[in-house]
This record gives sequence, C-alpha cells and structure tokens, in this order.
Amino acid sequence: MLQVVMFNLTNGLIVGAFYVLMALGLSMIINLSNVVNFAHGNFLALGGYFAFTLTPYIGFWGALLVSPILTAVFGYVIEQLMIKHVYARNHIYSLLLTFGLGFIVQDICRYIWGPSPLPLGIPDILSTPLTPDLFFITWYRVFMVVVVIVAVSGLFAFLRFTRVGMRIRAGTLDLDTVSALGVNVAALRSYNFAVGSYLAGLAGVLAAGQIGLNPNMGDDLIMPSFIAIIVGGVGSLTGTLLGGLLIGVAAALTTVVMPSASEAVIYVIMAIVLLLRPRGLLGEEGMLS
Amino acid sequence: MTPKLEIRGATKTFGSLVAVDNVSMTVEHGELRAVIGPNGAGKTTFFNLITGFFPPTSGEILLDGNNINRIPAAGRVKLGMGRTFQITEIFPELTVRENARIAVETGLGYSLKFWLTAADHKRIASACDEVLEMARLTEKADRLVGELSHGDQRAAEIAMALALKPSLLLLDEPTAGMGDEETDQVTGLIRRLHRDSKYTIVLIEHDMRVVFHLADHISVLAEGKLLAEGTPAEIAANETVQNAYLGKAE
Amino acid sequence: MNGLTVNKYATTAIIWILLLTAPFWLPLLGGYTALAGRVLVFALAAMSFNMLLGFTGVMSFGHAAYFGLGAYGCGLFLKFVAASTPLAILAGTLLGGVAGTLFGLLLVRRRGVYFAMVTIAFGQVCFYIAYKWDDFTGGYDGLRGFVRAPLDFGLFKIDITNNANAFYFFIVTIFGLAAAAQAFILRSPFGRTMLAIRENERRARFLGLPIERHIWLSFSISCFFTALAGSLYALLNNFADPLGLNYIMSGNIVMITVMGGMRSFWGPLVGAVLFVMLQDYVSSMTTNWMFFVGLTFVCVVLFFPRGLMGMLQKGART
Repeated sequence: MLQVVMFNLTNGLIVGAFYVLMALGLSMIINLSNVVNFAHGNFLALGGYFAFTLTPYIGFWGALLVSPILTAVFGYVIEQLMIKHVYARNHIYSLLLTFGLGFIVQDICRYIWGPSPLPLGIPDILSTPLTPDLFFITWYRVFMVVVVIVAVSGLFAFLRFTRVGMRIRAGTLDLDTVSALGVNVAALRSYNFAVGSYLAGLAGVLAAGQIGLNPNMGDDLIMPSFIAIIVGGVGSLTGTLLGGLLIGVAAALTTVVMPSASEAVIYVIMAIVLLLRPRGLLGEEGMLS
Repeated sequence: MTPKLEIRGATKTFGSLVAVDNVSMTVEHGELRAVIGPNGAGKTTFFNLITGFFPPTSGEILLDGNNINRIPAAGRVKLGMGRTFQITEIFPELTVRENARIAVETGLGYSLKFWLTAADHKRIASACDEVLEMARLTEKADRLVGELSHGDQRAAEIAMALALKPSLLLLDEPTAGMGDEETDQVTGLIRRLHRDSKYTIVLIEHDMRVVFHLADHISVLAEGKLLAEGTPAEIAANETVQNAYLGKAE
Repeated sequence: MNGLTVNKYATTAIIWILLLTAPFWLPLLGGYTALAGRVLVFALAAMSFNMLLGFTGVMSFGHAAYFGLGAYGCGLFLKFVAASTPLAILAGTLLGGVAGTLFGLLLVRRRGVYFAMVTIAFGQVCFYIAYKWDDFTGGYDGLRGFVRAPLDFGLFKIDITNNANAFYFFIVTIFGLAAAAQAFILRSPFGRTMLAIRENERRARFLGLPIERHIWLSFSISCFFTALAGSLYALLNNFADPLGLNYIMSGNIVMITVMGGMRSFWGPLVGAVLFVMLQDYVSSMTTNWMFFVGLTFVCVVLFFPRGLMGMLQKGART
C-alpha cells in the first residue's frame, strides 16, 4: 500500500509540475494583458511538433532548446498580427479570437504532420528506470521535473531581476502607472506573450517525450491549466504554481482510492475553492472585477 | 429642522497621506453647495466620502440626521442620494428614452418584472417624459445617447439621476472637459433644477465661473483642509482663498 | 413608424416565411429537411446563449453543458421513464436549466475572463460525468436506444417519428414559441436591465440594481432555453452525444452567435445557417474544415465584430 501511495504521490508531483509549466505561461498572459489564450494548448502541441521535426537534425537536446524559442517567435508574430488589435476592446473579443486561433493552429498541425499520433524519440538514457526497485520512475520523469524547476526558477528570476521582467510584474499590478512612467506597454505585452508562448512550447516538448504527439493534444491539457489558475487565484503566479501542484497530486492520490474519479477530482477541488474562497488560494481581490 | 446633509470632522487617510483632514460641512434643504479647490485639494476624496465610495477614517456623515458612514455607495442611492460621475456614465448604445426608462423602472421597483399593466406603462411613460422635459432632451429622445454631444450626454446622465426621485443630487465636476456652450447648457440645467424644482444639490467643480453663478454657499478645500466657507461674495472677497487658490488657478 | 422599425418587421416576416416553407424549397437546393431542423436547433441554442453574450454582455464558454444536459435529460426520460415527447422535452429543459441555475450561483461574482474560465470548467464537469458514467449515459458511445414518440393529442395523433416534415414543423413550432418568449423577456423591464448591465455595469449598479442577482437570473433563463434546444437535438438525432457537452460544442455555439451578429436578435439564426452550411459543405470538400471555419471566425472577430447581421444593418442604415 505504501508503495502504491508513494508511486502515486511522485506521479502526482510530476504531473503537477507539468501543469505548472503550462499554466504559468497562460497565467502570465492573463495577468498582464487580460487575455485568456485559448490556443495555449495548441501552442503546446506546436512546440512538440517543432521538436519532432528538429530532432533528426539537432537531436533531442538541441530540439529541447530550439523548439520553445520557435514557439515563442510564433507567439510573438500571432500577437502582432491579431491579438494586439483587440486589447482596447472588451475582453470578450480576445477570448473569441484565441478560440478561433486554436482551430487554425490545430488544423495547421494536422495538415503538416498528419492526423495520426507520432512518437518523439528521446535519448536512451532517459527511458531507463532509476533503479530496478523504482521501476516506475524513468529518468525521463526526473528530467521533466528538473526542467520544470529550472524553467520556473528562471521565470521568477527573470521577473525579479531583469528590467523587462520587473516591468511585467509592475504592469500586472498597475498598468496605468507603468504606462504613465513612460514604459511602452504594447511592447511589454508582446514580450510577455512571447515568454508565455515559450513556456507552452517547452511544456510541449516535455509532453511529447512522455505521451507522444497528436494534433488535438492541446485540448486535453488546457483544462487542467485553467483549473490550476482558478484554484491558485487569477493574478498570482505563485498561486498558479501551488494550484498546479495541488491538482496534480490530488488527481494522482485519488487514483489510489477511486481510479475512475481521478479526472473529476480536479473539478471538485475547483468547485470547493470557488465556494469557500472565491478569489482562489492566492488571488487578488481586485482581479475579480 | 435637521439639515439635509451634515459632515462632522470627516478625515480620510491613505497610509501616511491625509487626503481629507477634519472637514465639516452642513447643507440645508434646498441649498446648492459647491465644493471647490485646486487639484489635489482632496475634493474628489471628500466627494467619495459623501457618496460612499469608502468610509471615513474618522468623523461622521449624516443624511437627514442619520449616520450613513457604513452604508455603501449603492445603498446610499436607495436613500435618495442621486449622483453623476466625473466621466459621464450612461448606456451609450441605447436611446435617450431607454436610458431614462431603465432608471425610471428601477426607481419604481419594476426591475425584476416581466410584465407591465397598462397603468404601469402610463406611469413609466409620464415619468420618462417628465425627466426628459426637465433635462430638455425631449426632442432627442429617440437618438442614441452615445451619439449626442458631451453637454447632452451629461444632461441625459442627470436625467437618469432625477428619474430615481432623489432628495439630494451629488454632481462630480458636471462641466469637466466641456466647451463654453456646453458648460452653459449644463449650468443652465443645474440652475433650473435648483431654482425651479428646489433640489438640494452638492457639486464639486474647479471651473470658478460655474460655481460663482450657481452656488448659494461655497466650501473651499486646500490640502485636504477646509480653507473657507461662505457665500460666493464672501469667498470672492476672502484673501486666504485668493492667495491659496484663485491666484494659482488662473 | 420609422424606416428602421419597418425593416425590423420586414426581417421578421421574411424569416418566418422562409422557415415555414423550408421543407418545400430546401430539397430544390439539394438540402434535406433534417438539415433545416439542425439549423433551428443550433439557432435556438445560440439565441439563448446570446441573451447572455449579446444582451447582458457576459461571456459563457460552457453553454454546451446545458445543451448536452438537455439532450441527455430528454433521452434518458424517453428511454427509462415514459414514451412521451412533450414530457421528455420538459425533463431535458428542467435538467439543464436547474443545473445552470445552480452553477450560476457560484459564477455570478466572477467577471470577465474569470467568468469565462469558470463556465468552461463547469462545462467539462458535465462532459466527464456523461463520459464516465457508462451504465447510465452510454459513456463514450453516447446514449442510444430511444426514439421520439408520436404526439398524442387524444383526438388525433401526429406522427413525428417517421414523418420528417411533421417533425420539422414540430421543431419550428417550439422554436417559434421559444423565440417569442425570448423577445418578450428582452422587451420587459427585466430585459432592459440586462441591456443596462451590458452597456455600463457601474452605471447600472448606481441606479440601485442588484447586478449579481440580475446576471444570475439572466444566466438561468439562458440555460433553460439552451437546454430546451438540447432536448430538441436529442429528438432530432434519437441520440445524445457526450461530445455535445464538450467545450468544442460551447465554442460552436459561440461561433454561430458571433458570426451571425451578437447584437441582433436574429443574428444567431443567420449564424446557424452559415455554420451548418460551412460544416456541411466545407467538410465534404476538405478534411481541413477547422482551418477554414477558424479563419472565417477570426476574420469576423477582427473586422466585423457585429457579425453578418451587423453588416446588413449598417448597410441598410447608410
């Protein structure tokens, strides 16, 4: 029993870490631009497919470095082409726009890489178990967690110590003041969108190594990201971090008791949080209105 | 007789900043009171205390002799405090009549109704006609409010406030951002409401001409404190006011 | 009576003439009657959704849940309780409507993107329940094993089971009643408070309107009508599909509404015609129909935010 619980706990942390990576990108964009990027899951798929194409030429490690950057560039271009034109309008339009965008990106993936699932080759060393006793944990899973930790630390360092990062943080709190201080808010939002897309792309490469690729993989992954953000509280990246880990672990532990409810439990957590603490674990009151 | 509105030693601090410092003011029934002061004098904070945007740090706000410190803004509307906003708040894509009608129906408590009797319809129509007439918008009743001039939009906003049959009208810089002609239109409307319809009105303003022609009494704020209080003539003659405000403003 | 009012009546008249004669002219264009039924069902769902989006200014991205619950409620009633079409419709409408009303309680204090995210998540809850609860709902395969029952008026019966045209007129009748009820609500004092909230929530609040209660009621009404559309969808197909609860379906409802014109009462109907045509024809020509639907939609949002009806109205005015 203990081993089962341990297995699921580790598993939950790994899945949670993955949710965190994905949700953080989404959360950043919501915080600064008040845009929920419905196509975020499709950006993730795109990142995975980039890696699939690049791996034969530059290997898995090269693809791990390059694919997220390509996704970020893609995100930047999309932001310039479409999304920035609706910032001034009611938030409804950005929701609609990114929803349509999701369709387009998904079908582009299907057109280029085909409708059937594809595997992403990973180095042999990563596909072996840690030890014979811990047969259920491959090095790939450890590697995923390490990448997430590095990426999240990098993100928080970026927001704390770089000029653009500090401006993004300040803009999240009070955009008017930041704008009054002469910061180019439009450019800031574009960079921010690119960083968010980078995180989606990175999550895509990691996911592809674990579960493979298919054009609508984003659809299944976007919902946990939403819930991580709602549970953690809109407006707080630390909240998103907590929310992602919490639902990952909760879903995995539920598997021990009642496997069929493991997917439902994250929704139950969300409902409970909304009932007892409507602004989310670490959400800011002001973000609600 | 109890004054309509009384503020006793109201103070509002934000951290270490004292935005309003021990200000008192008494507004009698039927009076038109103007609150003036240079930018940053605390007018807006003072106005927000009266309208209930936030409670005072200390002091009392009394409406008809009752303490309303803890009643939030929306609740104060129900007690008869009608208000307009610095930036005109209207329903831009609806007609003038629809704007007025929504206010009238809400004021009559019909807002959750799905069905109106013929008598209800008549009552609503005549109330709408009345406020539109008062605001001189009858001819523009079927135009979209968003397409009107600033002056007419302000008039429409005031008409909506009137539709709720307020006993006290609070106007936040009613002529802000308007040209001469529109300013005259709006001050004319305020004067009619005061003289002909006997409304009790408190307005904050920094356009001096507006205030001196309209107000019965003027309260001058500077740096959060009450600098002077009196009739327009008294204020015009007051040296402290001239030094602190008039000299700087023009 | 000014030009605009005349236009409005003319539009309504044309729409009804076209709807009532659809079984006669549709086959001439290569369509079939069931296609018209599908348009009407989607149109009703989108019009119901539009009471929220277009007339209250609130974005729900989870209306598939209430649509789907309507369909399952109707199907389950026919399968397990009684072979009565009207009662099955009532059951479906109640199931979806009541669920929406309860969810609405948790929702009304949320605003903006937050509201949209919570609605979508609630939608997925319903999807998972239908998907996982195999024995009762048929799980992945959907709910089968029920058929719409003939309408029994005591003195005479109408066979809507096998007669496609009779069933179409049945749908038209319900659609007409629902549309009339919606128009009635929108013209009531309550309907005007919905517009007020859409136009300027702050102003509405300072008129003394309890905004949360009004949004809740508007949400609830919208869900009841959407569930009614869902019930009809189950009858149309003799089948309830878990994908009808999925957020892609919510997205379809949103796209229909926006493409047709969200500020217009009939906009969603026009959008439904367009959408069903796009889906039917484009998907028969290319497997990449999602790309074209998505691109059309993105262009509408960017360049014609008032949709097709908005364009027509603008054209009529200038």
